[in-house]
Amino acid sequence: MGMDDAWLLPAVPAAAFAALLLFGKYLPRKGDWLAIGAIAASFALFIPVLADLLDEVGREGFAGVVSGTDWVEFDTFNLRLGFMVDQLAIVMLAVVTFVSTLIEIYSVGYMKGDPRYGWFFTAMTLFVTAMITLVLADNLLLLYVAWEGVGFCSYLLIGFWHERRSAAEAAKKAFITTRIGDVGLLIGIILLWREAGTFSIREIIEFAQDGGYSAEYLTTAVLFVFAGAVGKSAQFPLHVWLPDAMEGPTPVSALIHAATMVVAGVYLVARMMPLFVVADPVALDVVTAIGLTTVMLSATMAIVATDIKRVVAYSTMNSLGLMMVALGAHSVTAALFYLFVHGFFKALLFMGAGSVIHGTERQEVWELGGLARKMPLTALAFAVGTLAMIGIFPFSGFWAKDEIVNVAADELAWIVVAFLVFSIFLTAVYMTRLYLLVFTGRPRDDHAHEHAHEAPPVMSLPVLVLAALAVIAGFWAFDQVGRALGFPGGIGEFVFLDEAQEFAFPVVAAISSSLAAVGGMAFAYALWFGEAEQARQLGERFRPLYKLWKNRYYFDDAYQWAINNLVLVGGNVIAWFDRNVVNDTGVDGSAGLAVFSGFQMKFSQTGRLPNYALAIVMGVIILAIVFLAVRV
Amino acid sequence: MDWAVFATIAVPAGTAGLLMAIPSRHRDVVRYVALMSGSSLFILSLIIFGKYQFDDGGYAFELQLDWLGNVAFLGEKGITYHLAVDGIAAPLVLLTGIVIFAGVFMSWNIEYRNKDFFILLFLMVGGVYGVFESVDLFFLFFFYELAVLPMYLLIAVWGSSTDFGTFVRTKEYGAMKLVLYLVAGSVLIFIAIFATFVEAGQGSFDLPVLGSVTYGENFQKTFFPFFMLGFGVLAGLWPFHTWSPDGHVAAPTAVSMLHAGVLMKLGAFGILRVGMSLFPEGAAFWAPVLMTLGVTGALYGAISAMAQRDLKYMVGYSSVSHMGYVLMGLATMNEIGINGAVLQMFAHGVMTALMFAMVGAIYDQAHARDMTIFGGLSRNMPRHASYWAVAGLSSLGLPGLAGFVAEFHIFVGTFQADYIWAGALGILAAAITATYILRMLAFAFFGPFNERWASLKEMRIGEQFGGAVLIFFIAFMGMWPMPFVDRIAATVSRLPGIT
Amino acid sequence: MIPIQHFLVLSSILFSLGIYGVLARRSAVLILMSVELMLQAVSINFIAFAVYLAPEEFTGLIFAIFVITVAAAEVGLALAIVLRIYRNKATANVDEVDIMKW
Repeated sequence: MGMDDAWLLPAVPAAAFAALLLFGKYLPRKGDWLAIGAIAASFALFIPVLADLLDEVGREGFAGVVSGTDWVEFDTFNLRLGFMVDQLAIVMLAVVTFVSTLIEIYSVGYMKGDPRYGWFFTAMTLFVTAMITLVLADNLLLLYVAWEGVGFCSYLLIGFWHERRSAAEAAKKAFITTRIGDVGLLIGIILLWREAGTFSIREIIEFAQDGGYSAEYLTTAVLFVFAGAVGKSAQFPLHVWLPDAMEGPTPVSALIHAATMVVAGVYLVARMMPLFVVADPVALDVVTAIGLTTVMLSATMAIVATDIKRVVAYSTMNSLGLMMVALGAHSVTAALFYLFVHGFFKALLFMGAGSVIHGTERQEVWELGGLARKMPLTALAFAVGTLAMIGIFPFSGFWAKDEIVNVAADELAWIVVAFLVFSIFLTAVYMTRLYLLVFTGRPRDDHAHEHAHEAPPVMSLPVLVLAALAVIAGFWAFDQVGRALGFPGGIGEFVFLDEAQEFAFPVVAAISSSLAAVGGMAFAYALWFGEAEQARQLGERFRPLYKLWKNRYYFDDAYQWAINNLVLVGGNVIAWFDRNVVNDTGVDGSAGLAVFSGFQMKFSQTGRLPNYALAIVMGVIILAIVFLAVRV
Repeated sequence: MDWAVFATIAVPAGTAGLLMAIPSRHRDVVRYVALMSGSSLFILSLIIFGKYQFDDGGYAFELQLDWLGNVAFLGEKGITYHLAVDGIAAPLVLLTGIVIFAGVFMSWNIEYRNKDFFILLFLMVGGVYGVFESVDLFFLFFFYELAVLPMYLLIAVWGSSTDFGTFVRTKEYGAMKLVLYLVAGSVLIFIAIFATFVEAGQGSFDLPVLGSVTYGENFQKTFFPFFMLGFGVLAGLWPFHTWSPDGHVAAPTAVSMLHAGVLMKLGAFGILRVGMSLFPEGAAFWAPVLMTLGVTGALYGAISAMAQRDLKYMVGYSSVSHMGYVLMGLATMNEIGINGAVLQMFAHGVMTALMFAMVGAIYDQAHARDMTIFGGLSRNMPRHASYWAVAGLSSLGLPGLAGFVAEFHIFVGTFQADYIWAGALGILAAAITATYILRMLAFAFFGPFNERWASLKEMRIGEQFGGAVLIFFIAFMGMWPMPFVDRIAATVSRLPGIT
Repeated sequence: MIPIQHFLVLSSILFSLGIYGVLARRSAVLILMSVELMLQAVSINFIAFAVYLAPEEFTGLIFAIFVITVAAAEVGLALAIVLRIYRNKATANVDEVDIMKW
């Protein structure tokens, strides 16, 4: 069992999915044990793969191990079902397999009693299959296949409670919005193939590094690829689906819309980073700009959001934007490090929110409050998640976020760094606000508060495991920790673009970001602790700003307007054109012309015998003349 | 196994004859005879597909009987009853078997003159097989007409007229337009066949014989458009596509299935088998036009489908859109693209047949097809909803289902042939497809349950089975396309003028 | 021997007279008679060619007999039609019979 057998990782959940789909109904407990077992097995299989990689990784020129088989091939055209294990994939796999195992266990408690309990686990298993495939894909085609697969699972699971109109609409919105990005991704993939003649990621990168693509061509292609990442990772301007995706069950939000699927965009850009580096610098500038815009949009919208899950969703967008900024500074290390710890603390936040929803059946923060006493474990875990998200020393978020600020300071304009630090302030504000409103103060809805109860052990145990990881995962930054675990060193020496780098504590970045974070917390405490009167007054004073944020910068409205007034009207115009112009005028018109001309010409039929006889004779004479003329 | 190909034509013809002998009051006997015949066609098609040896991509199961020779302008092998299957025809033969098999199940409930219905249906199927399997242009044309003409009666007698508020579409109108359009296309084909015959001067209508002749460049350029437009009409070539949505809306379920699933493929098959293989230079000359029309059709069909509320219109326009992809694939003139086109013929055939079957299943119960008046139907009809979802997801190109494999090949081929703009627009059309499919699912099957439809029940068991067969092939091709690709690629690589 | 031109001239005169009759006459019966003239002109041609060009074969003569037979049948049919028209319309003037149209 080594890296060559990596195909087993997706194969096991795939087999479980097939079994659940066909026989799930007849299995005891609807087969949830099978789903959890398969995903846990995936995690178990991950460990020998990791051990094998750690043996190999020190070798000179190690660049991952490729295995797999052909899927479609004829002549020179070849689509592979190929898998590649390298450091990048390992980091993602760790997050995907481990977090999904925990979330599946959590779901046993959360989804208990749901009429489609079995279907939930079936779909989750399919998701894990697709996600692992996405991570392991050695070629862009398989990556695209898995990419669409996770998107489809996301559609299924957002619309899990599809009897609710809002859930059905949110699922549709998520699928179509990401699909718009995928149009770009597919175009980009085929553009890359067109010159290189292969889908293999590694070969494409080599081809690019050898100067096979012209600069403009490559820039265009990678920007198309980036469009896919924008859709999947909910970056501006295709970010609108993610907050709505919270219509799905909370474990889905935790797994798909926080820890794994949405970071696929980040992963894709990280994978293709050598191409971005070779391409025109404009490509990376675009990545930075989009990431930074997303950060600022989401951080501000989160301050006024009132749905507990939506706030966490905005924080996810915020984190994704940060990772994009890190990639914009072509630091794969910083992005992947953040991705790694983010998987833990964001899943933790969502599962904490899920426990709150499960315990109180409320999602509006203004209906919650004072839950710390009723749900101490959840409150503790949520506090850990909040601190990690804000980035307080020594929680994991601190290390990862400082790494990003640090590389941004090295590589990007000062204005970007300023915005980043400001966004850390905003993050601290809205995360603290969320915690204060939900867990402290006076209960705002007595009925909900009375019934509130701590989550059952099957839910709280995974939460606590994640909480522990949210505290300690960040220490992987240190070489000593990495070596103790068997890695060649800290994450900087494990995942990197060109050369390994040792961890250096960024003092300036750490101090400035910590100041911003603590300032944000204090600001939020002053505004929202207790009755939140000040916050209300502030909202009144800056009414336009409040409305702008509350209405999500009117993006949703603008898109809806565009869909109603441009897309649907355009569709109706074409349909009208087809019916009235092409069909009724063109087709029926020509038929009408035939009828009309027939009607007119029938009058040449006099019905008189002599006329016909004369015509025959004249015809014969003319033919005879023509015949003679031609003969001569 | 040479008899297998002959049998695919003899069985439907024999069935039609046998049914004529059965008194029409024995409705169940008629049904079971049809079922037997449908199943045997399905099995025969599987045998032909499975047994086709794809090493060199040549003709297999060849059968050549003299019919007319040494008369007047005809040479020794003037017109022969020449049947054979190659790697392009094999998947399409299989497709026909699948669709007629499923179609019999979907027609089980027809009460009005069901004997006559099945007679005509099987005549049409015989014609379809004949076109795919004939290697003689005379018989190819004969079967082509045979496949088209029963459609008139099938739609005009068993179809349905619909009042859409702002306009009315009667079944007679749909039938008339469809047949006139296709016959107009035949006229062009007929002219081009005779022109080819005369130009070749071999005194034979046999395709291999005609294919061995090199035609002058101007001749090719002049007569390729005849084949392109003539067959293109049946393939839903924009702007000659309007017979298709209106015809589908009027047609009964099984006829829609066969029509969109198989008959439209005859057109694309004809362009490939006759036009492109005889006139490679002409095809190369006209390829940009075909590409433009194909991509226009793909986009135009998708956008039109987005504006439809009637389920059948939506599926009808989606057929126009998907056949646009097929034409794009043909126009690439390279192996990947043409492979994709043939794959798409199969994929679209199965999934559109499934969609029409599902429209029929719901129309039988609800007598309505307007998607906006339904709501939450998945509560009472979970299987029905999931069948719809599979068909829809395949058509929007979800990996793992048939549509993706085909569309991906076509897009890659289009890019390779330097039609980057067309490829990009084609991919965009696939995204629009997602829009209208998901919109339909959200309207009809998701959301709160509409109590008005509380009486609707799950599909009949026969419909479920027929649909399951189609789904099996959608998934099979999506997961394991090699059996198809092997056969198609072997033959496509032998075509003249293909890069 | 009389040269063949004499027969050909005769038959073309007969034929032209027939055409003139068909075109110029109003009475259906006279038109029929003119048609007979044309047919016989053709017969003369057949026989003349048969005798002059291929004296051993009887093809032309057989054709002439065919023509006579067909002409007889045709006259029988046509007179019946004319008779019916006369019964219905009380006229045999072809200018007044224009029912052969839409």
